Amino acid sequence: MENEHIDIVSDVTEEDTTKDKYLTFEIDNEEYGIDISYVIEIITVCAITWVPETPDFLKGIINLRGSIIPVIDARLRFKKPAKEYDSLTCIIVIEYENYKVGLIVDTVNEVTYIPEDKISIPPNAKLKYQNKFIKSIGKVGKDVQLLLDLDKFLFLE
Amino acid sequence: MADFSRESMLDMFIYEMNQLVEQLEQLIIQGEQGYSMDDINEIFRIMHTIKGSAAMMLYDNVSKTAHSAEDLFFFLREENPQNIDYSKLTDLVLECIDFIKNELAKIEAGEDSDGNPTDIIARVKAFLSQLKGEAVAEETPSAPEPSKPAEVKESPAVPVAENSAVSGTLYTAKIFFEEGCEMESVRAFTLLQNLKDYITNVTSVPEDVVAEGSEDIIKKDGFTFSFNSENTYDELCELINQTIYLKSFDLSSGTLKNYKAVLFFEEGCEMENVRAYTVIHNLQAYCTNIKHEPEDIINEAATEIIRKNGFKFSFSTSKSYEEVSKELYNTVFLKTVDVEEITESTETPKSDTGKEKEPKSLEAEVKPEEITKEENNAVPENAPATAKSKSASKPAAKASSKAADSAAAQKKQAPTQHMISVNIGKLDQLLNLMGELVIAEAMTTQNADLEGLELESFNKSARQLRKIINDVQDTVMSMRMVSLSTTFFKMHRIVRDMCKNLGKDVQLEVVGEETEVDKNIIEHLSDPLMHIIRNSVDHGIEMPEERKALGKPEKGTVLLEAKNSGGEVIIIVKDDGQGLDKDKILNKARENGLLKKPENEYTDREIHQFIFHPGLSTNEKVTNYSGRGVGMDVVMNNIETVGGTISVESEQGEGTTNILKIPLTLAIVEGMLIKMGGTKYTIPISSIQETIKAKNEQLFTDPDGNEMLTLRGEVYNVVRLYDFFGAETKVTNIEDGVLIMLENEGQIVCLFVDELIGEQQVVVKSIPSYIKKVKGIGGCTLLGNGDISLIIDVAGFFDK
Repeated sequence: MENEHIDIVSDVTEEDTTKDKYLTFEIDNEEYGIDISYVIEIITVCAITWVPETPDFLKGIINLRGSIIPVIDARLRFKKPAKEYDSLTCIIVIEYENYKVGLIVDTVNEVTYIPEDKISIPPNAKLKYQNKFIKSIGKVGKDVQLLLDLDKFLFLE
Repeated sequence: MADFSRESMLDMFIYEMNQLVEQLEQLIIQGEQGYSMDDINEIFRIMHTIKGSAAMMLYDNVSKTAHSAEDLFFFLREENPQNIDYSKLTDLVLECIDFIKNELAKIEAGEDSDGNPTDIIARVKAFLSQLKGEAVAEETPSAPEPSKPAEVKESPAVPVAENSAVSGTLYTAKIFFEEGCEMESVRAFTLLQNLKDYITNVTSVPEDVVAEGSEDIIKKDGFTFSFNSENTYDELCELINQTIYLKSFDLSSGTLKNYKAVLFFEEGCEMENVRAYTVIHNLQAYCTNIKHEPEDIINEAATEIIRKNGFKFSFSTSKSYEEVSKELYNTVFLKTVDVEEITESTETPKSDTGKEKEPKSLEAEVKPEEITKEENNAVPENAPATAKSKSASKPAAKASSKAADSAAAQKKQAPTQHMISVNIGKLDQLLNLMGELVIAEAMTTQNADLEGLELESFNKSARQLRKIINDVQDTVMSMRMVSLSTTFFKMHRIVRDMCKNLGKDVQLEVVGEETEVDKNIIEHLSDPLMHIIRNSVDHGIEMPEERKALGKPEKGTVLLEAKNSGGEVIIIVKDDGQGLDKDKILNKARENGLLKKPENEYTDREIHQFIFHPGLSTNEKVTNYSGRGVGMDVVMNNIETVGGTISVESEQGEGTTNILKIPLTLAIVEGMLIKMGGTKYTIPISSIQETIKAKNEQLFTDPDGNEMLTLRGEVYNVVRLYDFFGAETKVTNIEDGVLIMLENEGQIVCLFVDELIGEQQVVVKSIPSYIKKVKGIGGCTLLGNGDISLIIDVAGFFDK
């Protein structure tokens, strides 16, 4: 079944290189993932300019080679305690619906392949605050990745 | 064949059309009191160009509208009739313009141009015939010459009057059947059968309709037949119209004539083959038997041939020589066209010399230079396009020797080479790069690595670099500068229309329309200005009787003035109307709960500023134009988005003056860099009045907790920046920091900051849209070291 599928689409694989691939990163020892097609680049933490009258998870704006990009501290967005930025801290620059935004995460792990059938809908129970930003849960081997719902993550009040 | 991409041409078409329409509108408005011959010529030319371009892009409705207006001005030009109702004429032409504008807007928005001009055209025609009636009555003695082009109207729907009277007139009809209706030959045969009671002496192309192969000809070129009939044109039209599956038909009186033509396009117009195709396409509507060389015009190679040898083609039509030439002159980018009638039916399109020309065949060559001469500086790009219109009526100009002509052509065409139109996107990009360059220069020359080093030679080079960069920056800026004249001229139309509708007599005086402003800013100016002018005419200027009673001149005046002042452009709209009614405004303000202190403490200036509050219109009556109270606050918002300010001064009974201050450019701001709590902010220098080192004794707090500063006997509000933004800083003692006095629309506030860093030119960048608008922040900029500095929006400190 799997092979058959690949044979058919082999001609168009080029545009599908990002399909089912996720960039995984860590926040507070939990592993999260976002669809790789939204990711533009990963940079280390640089000078962030604070902007008044913004929610505290919105850390401010950065200068990325001349373009101004707002950055969100994912820890604060998940209502987790803030942590000093260190050498492992990264900013993942994503583009979602024409908004370019940087996400500050504890560390970036890898790009993994999570086939569709390994992804399940999260349990409905709202045990943790961050649950509302989770679209689905991917399971590869023993690892579990919480896949981000960017729409809610970026725009939910 | 239909795959030709029109996109690139469409852009040019829209651009050209917009310019033409604007130009036309100006001319019409200026000429309302009576047109000079030059004006009429100019209007005629523009209408002609619009018609031609629209026809080329297959926007028939636009083309037809322009055509009807062109007919009108053709008549004016040729007959120069007196006693014209200019006001009606202007109304009519403006209506045509509005229609064309509307269609253009649709085309620009990517919609179909589907407006129906029949109504306008009919009215223009009626007006024209009315004019003609009068004109003929006036000059009966001079019998019109038979060749007078005014009578050669080719509109197929208009009956050719003389023909209906003569018995057995010769007609030619060309018929197209619906695509896919099949059995065209049989249908053609049936048609002839149906008509046989009315027509005699029928000859048709193809000759034998039922013969093999004729079906294909009919499908492709249509079914053409000529005949004699005693019926009138209208009757025949009706008869033919009854045919089933009829797609279109063209009926005209006269026999088929054969023509051949050689056509040259303007050098450098590109896509000659596409243009040639369009020519053929247009001909197909009324011609048969079209042959052209090169035969395969779709092929790229054809472009070269056409460029070198000209585009040769032959065709048959019943139209007269004049009509055919006129049609061909409509070709866009036409350089010359040589049409001649061939007397024998055998066509030899290849030999274009040596053939005997018909004696009446007037050789009409187009000489763009004649027109450029008259066009002067009026939009040089249009000159080649406008050129063709001239030639039709001026075959006599051929007299001058060719050599002299071509020399003159080069000389006169020269100005067209000095202007190019550039995509605004590229200019924007250039400006952005310019911004980056300014920053990069600062990054380099103020590099931290250089600190403390003795660098005499380096500094010298750096200075040189900075000087050049400044020059480049000025040049880039100047490229984006556009004069206000087009925006200002639009106002003439508004004043005119309003006067007509409101029965007022107002004249608009325009001063300093040559003042230049950045393109981006101009786009935001048109609407606010329109609003202010409407207000002035509608609310400000009184009715003529009223003015007379008040001892004012009956004609009201609205002055629209622009002038440069430092880094700003000041636009003044001043009327000599009734002025603002302070009491009314105060009452309204009270009703709306806007008053914050006892009424008698308000200065005139403060009261006048109330008109910028939403929902405050003092006009009791809501008119077509204003009075709903959603005017001035929108104006204010618009002006503020481009970083400008607006204020109003008024003397009751004397008039009102609106003053708009607009920055020359949005992109680069002279700024004062300040520091507060580890962050650097930039304050536009233009709003800074002075900086003060204050003492604690100068400071006091009013009962509401507002901090005040006394300085030279005046009291000012103090705003602490860290309080306002909710930030943290170590500098909280007024004596440790600096107070910056900021002015906005006549109000003053003192801003407390940690320290001043220095003056700097900064390139304004917008805050990413993900972050919602922050009050007091207008944008951001990059500093020499790559840090971001937020730009303070001074107006944010004033509205509470």
